[in-house]
Amino acid sequence: VAAPSGSTNDAAFSAAVNTAVDADVDVALVRAHGVAALVTLLVSVVFGIIASLELLYPDIVGGTPWLSWGRVRYAHTQGIMLGWLGNAFFAFLYHAVPLLTGRAVTSARLGRWLFALWNFAVLAPGWVLVLAGVSQPLEWAEFPVVVDGFVVAGFVLAAVQFLPPFFRRGLEDLYVSSWYIIGGLIFTLLAYPMGNFVPELVPGARGAAFSGLWIHDAVGLFVTPVALAIIYFVIPAVSRRPIFSHFLSMLGFWLLFFLYPLNGTHHYVYSVIPMAAQLGAIAASTLLGVDVIIVVTNLLVSLRGSGVIARDIGLRFVATSTVFYAVVSIQGSLQAQMAINQAVHFTDWVVGHSHLAMLGFATFAAAGGLVHAWQRMPLARYNARALEWAYWMLVVGVVMMVSALTAAGLVEAESWASGAPWLDSVRAARPFWLVRTFSAIPIGAGFVALLVGLTTGPRGGGLEALAHGHSLAVAPEIAPRVAPVPSVAS
Amino acid sequence: VREGVTDASARVLRMSYVVASVAGVAFFVMSVVLLGIWPGRVLEEQTRVMMPEHPLILSVSEERGREIYSREGCAYCHTQQIRHVHADVIRFGAPTLAWETRLDYPHLWGTRRIGPDLAREAGTHSDDWHFAHLYAPRAVVPDSVMPAYAALFDGSPDRPTQAGRDLVAYLETLGRAREVAGPEGEARARAACNCVDDAMAAMGFAAPALNASPSRTRPRGGAPPLPAAAAETVRGTQLYIANCAGCHGARGQGDGPGAVGLHPKPANLAEHTYARARLADVLWNGMAGTSMQAWRDHPVADLAAIADVVDSFGPSRAVFPPASAPAPDLAPDRAPALATPPANLLDVGARIYAANCVQCHGLGGDGRGTAAGELRIAPTDFRAQRLSLASSLAVLRDGIEGTQMAPWTGRVTDEERLAVAHYVRSLFQDDRSAVAVAAIAAAASAGVTAGVRPR
Repeated sequence: VAAPSGSTNDAAFSAAVNTAVDADVDVALVRAHGVAALVTLLVSVVFGIIASLELLYPDIVGGTPWLSWGRVRYAHTQGIMLGWLGNAFFAFLYHAVPLLTGRAVTSARLGRWLFALWNFAVLAPGWVLVLAGVSQPLEWAEFPVVVDGFVVAGFVLAAVQFLPPFFRRGLEDLYVSSWYIIGGLIFTLLAYPMGNFVPELVPGARGAAFSGLWIHDAVGLFVTPVALAIIYFVIPAVSRRPIFSHFLSMLGFWLLFFLYPLNGTHHYVYSVIPMAAQLGAIAASTLLGVDVIIVVTNLLVSLRGSGVIARDIGLRFVATSTVFYAVVSIQGSLQAQMAINQAVHFTDWVVGHSHLAMLGFATFAAAGGLVHAWQRMPLARYNARALEWAYWMLVVGVVMMVSALTAAGLVEAESWASGAPWLDSVRAARPFWLVRTFSAIPIGAGFVALLVGLTTGPRGGGLEALAHGHSLAVAPEIAPRVAPVPSVAS
Repeated sequence: VREGVTDASARVLRMSYVVASVAGVAFFVMSVVLLGIWPGRVLEEQTRVMMPEHPLILSVSEERGREIYSREGCAYCHTQQIRHVHADVIRFGAPTLAWETRLDYPHLWGTRRIGPDLAREAGTHSDDWHFAHLYAPRAVVPDSVMPAYAALFDGSPDRPTQAGRDLVAYLETLGRAREVAGPEGEARARAACNCVDDAMAAMGFAAPALNASPSRTRPRGGAPPLPAAAAETVRGTQLYIANCAGCHGARGQGDGPGAVGLHPKPANLAEHTYARARLADVLWNGMAGTSMQAWRDHPVADLAAIADVVDSFGPSRAVFPPASAPAPDLAPDRAPALATPPANLLDVGARIYAANCVQCHGLGGDGRGTAAGELRIAPTDFRAQRLSLASSLAVLRDGIEGTQMAPWTGRVTDEERLAVAHYVRSLFQDDRSAVAVAAIAAAASAGVTAGVRPR
């Protein structure tokens, strides 16, 4: 593939382009996981829409057990986390790891096994079993234990697939995305059993303490690190400028991995779990907000003046993701504080918060990563117009949904505190739930447009989208071993 | 020298990554130890010392019910965790202690409350109510958003499958262990609690009621007086539709969609005349042993508005006779065509009442007979409510299904039943002023009930 000219750095990276993009990136696996991500996303969104409709029209499925609210709710979140984000993250890793390390992933055959395992031994049976009534009532862990075993196997395969290139390369001068990938893969493997197996063995309040760890770590040690790896990857890759400060990047990374696991108990404030653990988790939550401010400042300053956000959809997705990340994290730090938690815990406020995290921050990062990888796949179809629609639909949808749920949470909190009859809070939530359900129109349309954008249009259309003065080549900072290390701006 | 510095800094850099990596793992381990293992040990010890001496365990049926509760995602709308927070304690009861959750593999605390917390559900609603509610939630609670679980029934709310029974059996265990442990159990747990220095732990034992649910039935008494007829009849009608019509029916005839599985049936309000204090009592305390829950979460003004609607359904109060002048009452307003009652009918009724009814219904019909305490459902207090003559006769003939009130056809004659029906009706003591009665009559004739339509 001939890199379009226009950047003064292009010549320096042509070798990297030829080795990394042509040889090392397993385009077939990027595409397979990318398409699987979009398909499972649409399925998961349908589950979400059914669940939201059932709160407005509870008899809409006529009592069909496998479509009842609880089961659909289980299928929705597991599908989003493992199906959509899991597959999208793997697609991104197949694109990014070779570029970050200058080395191919462990094995294409292993990749096919991982793909098959993830989609046909985890997702498909997980969904079928949950809908059939075989599940566990644990948040972010609803697939039954037998499926959890395959999830662990999947994470082990992913570690075997993606980690050796980093170790073969050596850990010096690794770009921050690499650290997030390494950290995410290792710590997810450690954290996953806390929420999926331990509560089956340790009862009640004791099990809830462990469950709290995973509720938070699922987002904190799996979703956030890979999402941030994408953001950190795409910004310099598109803007052709280094991240503002490598020091702040690494500070943010280590603080995140130190602080995130210590947040878990903030999901059970005012519970019987020892207050020292609750207060410790609240303190860690507060510090985490500080860490996120560091991370986000570094990212936004890096974007300032780059002039390409408007032109590059992938970058625009990750830039928006960065903003959502700032908002959702500061919100998280605030709602962990006891006075606020007392009021909004158990309300729709928290549902809004989790959608801002998963649908706002993580989904925008994952979509940005997919678009970015797609643009650089020579034979991939790419429909820029559809992607433009996807972006704006999703922005509208997320803002609509999160605002409605946040407001609903405040109304519910007020109703509960007033001592009014319980059902008053349900009646009061209905208008907001209606808005939430209507937000499914832009969100669903946005996701369909995303699928259309990545499966229709001319082959190689993504490469044309890049022909605006920036290069297909690997950004210098991302792959310091295959390209000269640029000076750090700070 | 320059080379050497670079080498050294590279080594330090390499070391720093090793140190940071080790620290990262250490922080994770720390999180597991500090937020998982250590709290777990504290909670385990707390469970050991605070648990009653003979704690209840779950039966096989209840355990199966727990599995159904788990698989249906009930915990995603109904928490089972009362927090150490004033609003939770006031609404639901004593905060959840560690030992109360010791049988939950895995825990069912939940993080979202769309429906109310269920940690103290035991004894809050009747089994019949649960069946009716699970089968068709909106039949009982019109504005509920709960999914219907008709698959747990064989086509009707009074035909639950084994799974349906298991689930309700499980619901009846929620909070049961602590309630059964009684005052000595509370004392034992409190003694084991280091509550002196820990205000929040102390809150675990300071709740005014273990189960504070405003729906839970209570013994008679303590109800606030309801203001006289409320002007806002529309409000009353709305409240009646939202809270009462599911079981009592749109016109109060006890024939709402939720009535099917309830034993005893919901009261036919159209056949009753209630003293104001009686309505206050039933709304405030519910009817223990029946599916009539209490409504203490509603403002008193709203309860008064509901009471007005109930009054509007009942037989006309205007013709009600003072107890001292029973004569007009002898003309059976809706009774079957019987021979003109003899003049001494009330005396005959009083004698039959004294011989057969007084043990339960009490002297003067106060519902406090010597055997009343043994009954699951309190006998009717005839001073506080008056059934129409036709319904009185029907009850004496058929009894009331689901209660201890048996049919009396084999034991007393038709004439004797007529006499006792007249007698118990004569015991009614209305507590409403003539002005209030006139206001109700006016409201009724103005068509208050016309606003109450089937949904």
